[in-house]
Amino acid sequence: MVTLTINGKLVRAREGEMLLDAIRREGIEIPATCQHEAVEPYGACRLCTVEITKADWGGWKNHVTSCLYPVQEGLIVSTHSEDVIRIRKTILDLFLARCPNAELIQNMAAEYGITRTSYEEVPDGNDCILCGLCTRVCDKMGFQAISTVGRGHGKEVAPPLGEAPPDCVGCLACAQICPTNYIKFTDDGTTRTIWGREFELVKCETTGQPTITKEFAAYLVKHRNIPEDYFTRCDSAHREELAKTMGRITHWGRQEEA
Amino acid sequence: MCITSSRQLKQVRKEFLDGDARFEKKVMICCGTGCLANGAQEIVDEFDSILRKKRIKGFTIEAVRSTGCHGFCEQGPLVIIEPRGTFYTKVKVKDVADIIEKSIRSDEVIDKHLYTDPATKQKIERYPDVAFFSHQQRIALRNLGKIAPHNIKDYIANGGYQSLAKVLTTMTPDDVITEVSKSGLRGRGGGGFSAGRKWRSCADVESDTHYVICNGDEGDPGAFMDRSIMEGDPHSVLEGLAIAAYAVGAKEGFVYVRDEYPLAVVHMQKAIEDCRKEGLLGENIFETNFCFDVHIARGAGAFVCGESSALMKSVAGEVGEPRAKYVRSVVKGLHDQPTVLNNVETFANIPIIFEKGADWYAGIGTKKSTGTKVFSLVGKVRNTGLIEVPMGITLRQIIFDIGGGIIDDRPFKAVQTGGPSGGCLPESKLDLPVDFDSLTENGSMMGSGGMIVMDDRTCMVDVAKYFTDFLVKESCGKCVPCREGLYQLHKLLVKISEGRGEESDIDRMEQLSEVIVNASLCGLGQSGPNPLLSTLKYFRDEYTAHIRDKRCPAGVCRELITYNITDECTGCMACISACAYHAITGQKKKVHVIDQEKCTKCGACVAACRFNTIDVR
Amino acid sequence: MKQTFDKIPDIIAKHPQNAGSLIMILQDIQKEYNYLPPEALTQTAAALDVPLSKVCSVSTFYNSFSLKPRGRKIVRVCVGTACHIRGSNLIQQQLESTLNLKAGETSKDLEYTLEAVACVGACAMAPVVIINDKYHGSLKVNKAAKLLEKK
Repeated sequence: MVTLTINGKLVRAREGEMLLDAIRREGIEIPATCQHEAVEPYGACRLCTVEITKADWGGWKNHVTSCLYPVQEGLIVSTHSEDVIRIRKTILDLFLARCPNAELIQNMAAEYGITRTSYEEVPDGNDCILCGLCTRVCDKMGFQAISTVGRGHGKEVAPPLGEAPPDCVGCLACAQICPTNYIKFTDDGTTRTIWGREFELVKCETTGQPTITKEFAAYLVKHRNIPEDYFTRCDSAHREELAKTMGRITHWGRQEEA
Repeated sequence: MCITSSRQLKQVRKEFLDGDARFEKKVMICCGTGCLANGAQEIVDEFDSILRKKRIKGFTIEAVRSTGCHGFCEQGPLVIIEPRGTFYTKVKVKDVADIIEKSIRSDEVIDKHLYTDPATKQKIERYPDVAFFSHQQRIALRNLGKIAPHNIKDYIANGGYQSLAKVLTTMTPDDVITEVSKSGLRGRGGGGFSAGRKWRSCADVESDTHYVICNGDEGDPGAFMDRSIMEGDPHSVLEGLAIAAYAVGAKEGFVYVRDEYPLAVVHMQKAIEDCRKEGLLGENIFETNFCFDVHIARGAGAFVCGESSALMKSVAGEVGEPRAKYVRSVVKGLHDQPTVLNNVETFANIPIIFEKGADWYAGIGTKKSTGTKVFSLVGKVRNTGLIEVPMGITLRQIIFDIGGGIIDDRPFKAVQTGGPSGGCLPESKLDLPVDFDSLTENGSMMGSGGMIVMDDRTCMVDVAKYFTDFLVKESCGKCVPCREGLYQLHKLLVKISEGRGEESDIDRMEQLSEVIVNASLCGLGQSGPNPLLSTLKYFRDEYTAHIRDKRCPAGVCRELITYNITDECTGCMACISACAYHAITGQKKKVHVIDQEKCTKCGACVAACRFNTIDVR
Repeated sequence: MKQTFDKIPDIIAKHPQNAGSLIMILQDIQKEYNYLPPEALTQTAAALDVPLSKVCSVSTFYNSFSLKPRGRKIVRVCVGTACHIRGSNLIQQQLESTLNLKAGETSKDLEYTLEAVACVGACAMAPVVIINDKYHGSLKVNKAAKLLEKK
């Protein structure tokens, strides 16, 4: 364990833990858009920047992104110093110029007293904040179906060659992790469409309810050792079957096969 | 054949020098990029074709050497005749027969090819006497222009690989690092981090695999020293890299070369292959336990790959996005293994440190910036080219003594160093000693050594806009302050340069810059506002002129200038035919007039006018 | 006539079959075909066992790759600092109006591609224009268009 000071309060944290986790455990709110527990820290949005110093640094301070900076013994952290607030405000102001309609950014900016960007609005701005959560979560699950293309200000998230992504299984992880709901999909109970590709949904043999896409089912069967017929049953069909096949409860917490 | 000892190196050297002793004269033809562009290869070919037909006593085509860059690119193609050092400039193919006849067959010096000193108007015969060369001290560039870069034996004959032999057979890795630390050598790629300390931190990391990488990406626009070294003396880079590998315990190394430098790729590749053949790369080098091999990785055009973590991703075949650097690459670099990364010039300095000793090296330059630095002296300076000078020399000495002052004797305005991460220094800083720390203290930086001289016709708002635009295009786009911040900074500069600026814009740019500096992920963003901040610091009045008076004092920003023909016009009609937009009218021997409605400010008339009578302001 | 890209497998085979070769393989394919056709990306991805998305990411990140066919004559205007100071922007304008192309564009007949590149390392002879690897240095605005006529 290490001991550090956050906003004047002594706190203890696990060695190797990131500052942001320690800060949030103290109930301190700081914004972060590219951070998510499902993926490795990335350090792109810079909103979680905090000010750090140490007693023996002779007054020297540094600004670091707390999502990536491991806790250290004796670290003195300010999460809302004047400099830090200026950095956050500027970043939110810049975000608003690019993504004026993204609700997440609007709300975060409002908390810092900004309702309109003071910069020139970016032509063709959209709601994508380039946090990279979608591509990283897709990578992490092993599909690596989408990626960023281009670079700099023109960078965007896209399927390869701008066509229906061959490695996508339609699992929706990207759409669900997207903090600004920029990634769109449709799902009519039979077909799911995302990234310009259509996926057939597997249906429950008992209730006819859709479960997951055929491709996702095949992937799980192959990589997770799940029986092939698992996805041809929906939640309630599984429950029903379980109730039928499992025996009565003999005493709390123990079951017997029928 | 395999070279396994220092004695064998000496044998190779002796054989080579004995071979050379057959020749009464040797001809060195500069085949650096600049000279090649001006036809150096055709000159080499002409020597070859003449010498095939003609026999000359004590001279054959083998005595004609295509060498690396001499640095004086402005005057190329350059031909030097040794042993006298007779220095011919701007040589053409048709001159070759004459040179062979007069200067090789006999000892005549052909005056018309000699360099004329612009100050004294005197012809100078030998190149060491030319001011451009006489103020230099060549260490990293020691072999450039002297040896044939594609011939390993020429390198060995000049003492090459003796340092590697000495290091491997008589020193421990620890000794090597101590020696490099003692030399005070700081990385020549940008920040100026101590090479010895970097090597030590890497060597101290326990791991089965360590890597060494030579950065030859040279993304700084306006710098070409690494290109010239890789093209003109690739073995010194390899030898330095091998010494580093031994010091940190690496078995594998990479040379990361810009793909825009095809000749550098070819010469490095040839050098690596020759080393493998001679046993200077591979298993048990010099019969020791040291095994080392080098591969080339070609860069694909990304300035951000100057950032170590981005470069390493690129070497691994990935997108060059930097990683947040709370873990340094000496600890977790290429493939997450401890890695030493230095640039070409840094490695080129290593062999000579072991040849002449760390104390010798530390005695050159200043206390905190030892040794020499190579600069590419370019822009509005008379003698452009590649120079190497001891650290601590003043900007004035470089620009006026070596560079010969400003073209057309116009007033000096600024010198830009450090590339897009650096800044512009004004006339009041001309007596600043050039070293890592004083440049940084004054708002610029050493960078990789671009030195761009600017005169009164260079607009500082335009320069800031230029660099910011460059960085917007080169930003990897990962972090917000850099991607969006530099974009907005550029927008503000465009606004000012187009005459739409407001007084408050300067404050806004300064505030935004501060956030970009403090909050960006990597060095590209952190130093990105430097060109803007340094021009604001030293040339604020130019910004005010653009904003308040809607005027570009240097006559550069198109929206704020007009072209006018002065009364001195001789009426030669050259501008009329040069103007593609038919905006100029006039009769012979009468003052011409520009129709402002039609004028696109393309500059063709100014280039065509021989009497300097077109006024741009 | 549809172009075939049958040399791609041979080019790929010349390199070690791992992810580290990706950039160099793409460079070599581009040298052969002047650009990267979709086949280059898909075949390289398959051969190196690198996801196609990553290949697309890499091929759009670096400046030197072009995913669109380029002209037989590639005209590159150096816009590095030294060239900029000596007026490369005027030269670029001149070439843009002569070729009726903006930097980065290719003519419909695939004759010319105009590119603006940041520093080709020939700063001492600024401003520089490179036409298919041939350097033309110390250019004047009124001479730039003439370079195209000569070819």
